[in-house]
Amino acid sequence: MLTLKSVHSYYGSLHVLKGVSLHVRAGEIVALLGANGAGKTTTLKTISGLLKPRTGQVEFQGEDISRLSAEAIVQRGIAHVPEGRRVFSTLTVAANLELGAFARRDHQAVKKDLQEIQERFPILRERARQPAGTLSGGEQQVLAMARALMARPKLLLLDEPSMGLAPRLVQQVFAIIRHLQATGTTILLIEQNARAALKVADRGYVMETGRISLDGTAAELMDHNEVKRAYLGKGYQEVWED
Amino acid sequence: MTEYFLHIAIISALHIILALSLNLIIGYCGQVSLGHAAFYGLGAYTSALAAIHWQASFFLTLPLAGVVAALFGLGLGIPTLRLRDDYLAIVTLGFGIIVDLILLNLEVTGGPDGLVRIPPPQLAGVDFRNKFMYLLLVALVVAFTLGLIYRLVHSRHGRALKAIRDHEMTARVMGINAAAYKISIFTLAAGLAGLAGALYAHYITFINPESFGLHTSILVLTMVVLGGMGSILGSVVGAGVLTILPELFRRFADYQDLAYGAMLIALLIWRPQGLLGTGKISQKFSLAKNRAKKGN
Amino acid sequence: MLLQQILNGLTAGSVYALIALGYTMIYGILGLINFAQGEIYMAGAFATVLLLSAYKVNFFVAFLFGMGVAAVLGLILERLAFRPLRGSHPLVPLISAIGASIFLQSLALLLFGPADRAFPLQFEFAALDIAGVTVSTLQVAIFVTALFFMALLVVFVKYTKFGKAIMATALDQDTARLMGINVDRMIALTFLIGSALSGAAGIMMAIYYNTTYPRMGLLPGLKAFSAAVLGGVGNIPGAIVGGLLLGVAENLGAGYLSSGYKDAVAFAILIIVLLVRPKGLLGGRGH
Ligand SMILES: Nc1ncnc2c1ncn2[C@@H]1O[C@H](COP(=O)(O)OP(=O)(O)OP(=O)(O)O)[C@@H](O)[C@H]1O
Ligand SMILES: [Mg+2]
Repeated sequence: MLTLKSVHSYYGSLHVLKGVSLHVRAGEIVALLGANGAGKTTTLKTISGLLKPRTGQVEFQGEDISRLSAEAIVQRGIAHVPEGRRVFSTLTVAANLELGAFARRDHQAVKKDLQEIQERFPILRERARQPAGTLSGGEQQVLAMARALMARPKLLLLDEPSMGLAPRLVQQVFAIIRHLQATGTTILLIEQNARAALKVADRGYVMETGRISLDGTAAELMDHNEVKRAYLGKGYQEVWED
Repeated sequence: MTEYFLHIAIISALHIILALSLNLIIGYCGQVSLGHAAFYGLGAYTSALAAIHWQASFFLTLPLAGVVAALFGLGLGIPTLRLRDDYLAIVTLGFGIIVDLILLNLEVTGGPDGLVRIPPPQLAGVDFRNKFMYLLLVALVVAFTLGLIYRLVHSRHGRALKAIRDHEMTARVMGINAAAYKISIFTLAAGLAGLAGALYAHYITFINPESFGLHTSILVLTMVVLGGMGSILGSVVGAGVLTILPELFRRFADYQDLAYGAMLIALLIWRPQGLLGTGKISQKFSLAKNRAKKGN
Repeated sequence: MLLQQILNGLTAGSVYALIALGYTMIYGILGLINFAQGEIYMAGAFATVLLLSAYKVNFFVAFLFGMGVAAVLGLILERLAFRPLRGSHPLVPLISAIGASIFLQSLALLLFGPADRAFPLQFEFAALDIAGVTVSTLQVAIFVTALFFMALLVVFVKYTKFGKAIMATALDQDTARLMGINVDRMIALTFLIGSALSGAAGIMMAIYYNTTYPRMGLLPGLKAFSAAVLGGVGNIPGAIVGGLLLGVAENLGAGYLSSGYKDAVAFAILIIVLLVRPKGLLGGRGH
């Protein structure tokens, strides 16, 4: 469904992605792991068009989208939930959701989707008239994901959805991810919480300083010594023991 | 004919002082003043009034003009430069309008007619009505300005200022009081403009508010942008060029402001570094800062 | 007397508020003080006045024409003077805006001459006497029209898809793009709306003071900016409150202090706000 072929991206003169190749098949959850600053977020930005690759290709459903604008890419069916949630804080929760469907023209269906999403996440209905900035961190994450779903994406890019959340909320976020997979959404997931990510993922990639250093099925990566040492060590246990 | 060339040279030199001082504000505060002509005017009126009413010597009224203009600069800088980085332009624009209003309305300033019979400087035996002598005098102040700026740039303070310009946040973290530095620079620049004003008043010997309005502020700004924001030599060249060109194209005097406006936009788009600048302001400083603001 | 000044102030203030909305919206989305806003105001007035003196058109048609010219001018300005400079230090577009302002002003001077022009239409306005205070129906008409445009804007921003998209773009451009919002188009739309409102303001002032001239935008532009700062730059209700307050303060200042320095009141308020409450009364937003 999505294929990156030796993609190079820059911030000005700073060379960040140094030949990234990866692919995501329809229906999969693929985890993208890596240390801070490895270039994970940059990879997602390059896919969603916030950043243009200098060389290399990004193909989505057989089409080269690497020269398309971010707006056009959303219309192709890719939704990107950015790092740090980035809800529109002074706009209402409802307005945030509506903006998620900005690119869509099927207004009746949008209304129905809004209903459905509000049923699935009742908090978004209760707080519909409230500024999004007044939600808690976990609620904002739910809003950010729900907002992306309003675009009816074929591919969902999630950048560290569990960042900064309490353990109970982390579980909730992963429950949503599982549910999305069950309903047929394809997901490319960045996570610091490698074990949790590999638990829901089918496959995974590990990035190091702008390159893919390792890839394999989730089970393979989980067992890989390098991955164990670097990403599955401390820090996540508290999360999954309660 | 020589008289005419000397006249152009004197006016160029005055413009050089104005452009250099405005460039200090642009280069170091990252801000633009639209009231620069008002400081120029304050200096001119201060010196002229002191000379007319108290018969004070020009060599006393000149520094007095600088101090008065600087004090006004301080008064404007304190509320403005501590805050957001983009209010100075509009506050100084307002200031220029107010100064104009006051000069036009006060009795002591002669209203729209201004002041006449301003005595030329007097110093044992030297006749400053001689244009060549006056040029020497102005050149001395230009040299003083250049020396001051040179010393400033190469001092510890100059480095602190550069740090503020390039990485304000880092500079702040390092304990550099950015606002205090910016206010000092603005005060100094206002004072220098005041000196130029005094020199102008005693040269022309009659002044009215017209010379110190928005038109002049824009002219000086165009000189700085043309020469290159942040470039000392650029200001000198920009001031020279924009003093001489209008003389050559007298027939098109009505189109001057139109040309300055178009020139400002065109330069920023196609040659933001001006004739001689390095582009520090328009490129580097800028992008680093924008990124910091957006925070991603 | 007091009430009279307040009512006069509200009339002028409602017009300042319209211009201040343009400043605030453009500042909110681009972080730019659009110095040429006053010239757009002037252009709106000129377009209407020239059309009415040349052709016998309906007043409302001429009014809309003036707003349209102002809006188009705003779009052109954005395209030529600001868009190429996006991403550079804020000083750069600011100077470009100053250049645009001086360019438009001198262009108007060359094209139309420095003389004042009276408004080509004569309206019959009645003086209403309410509890000892005289208000002309012209004042009422201006105030109501300004309020109407403000209400229209608030409804647009709060309840329409594109209004929300403008707000989203002002808050976070990258995330707005991830929603499929075309940021360039939203910025252009903001210029269009802000300029149309300023154009309307210019036309109303051209009628109120019965004069149109190339430099007419300078002071109202400065005052409207002060109003925007007073209310909190980037804040739409703030611009409205700031404009009305400023108009009233200015008239009270002129009435009780000295009418010669009426124009200085706005400036004094600007300085005081910057000293005491730099975020403005209702708090700033955006950049
Ligand atoms: N907007 C930017 N401008 C310049 N450099 C950037 C920008 N964003 C990221 N970088 C740099 O690019 C590199 C990769 O950053 P990126 O955000 O992709 O890393 P990441 O893998 O997502 O890290 P993290 O786990 O911290 O989110 C880093 O060195 C970072 O400093
Ligand atoms: Mg990241």
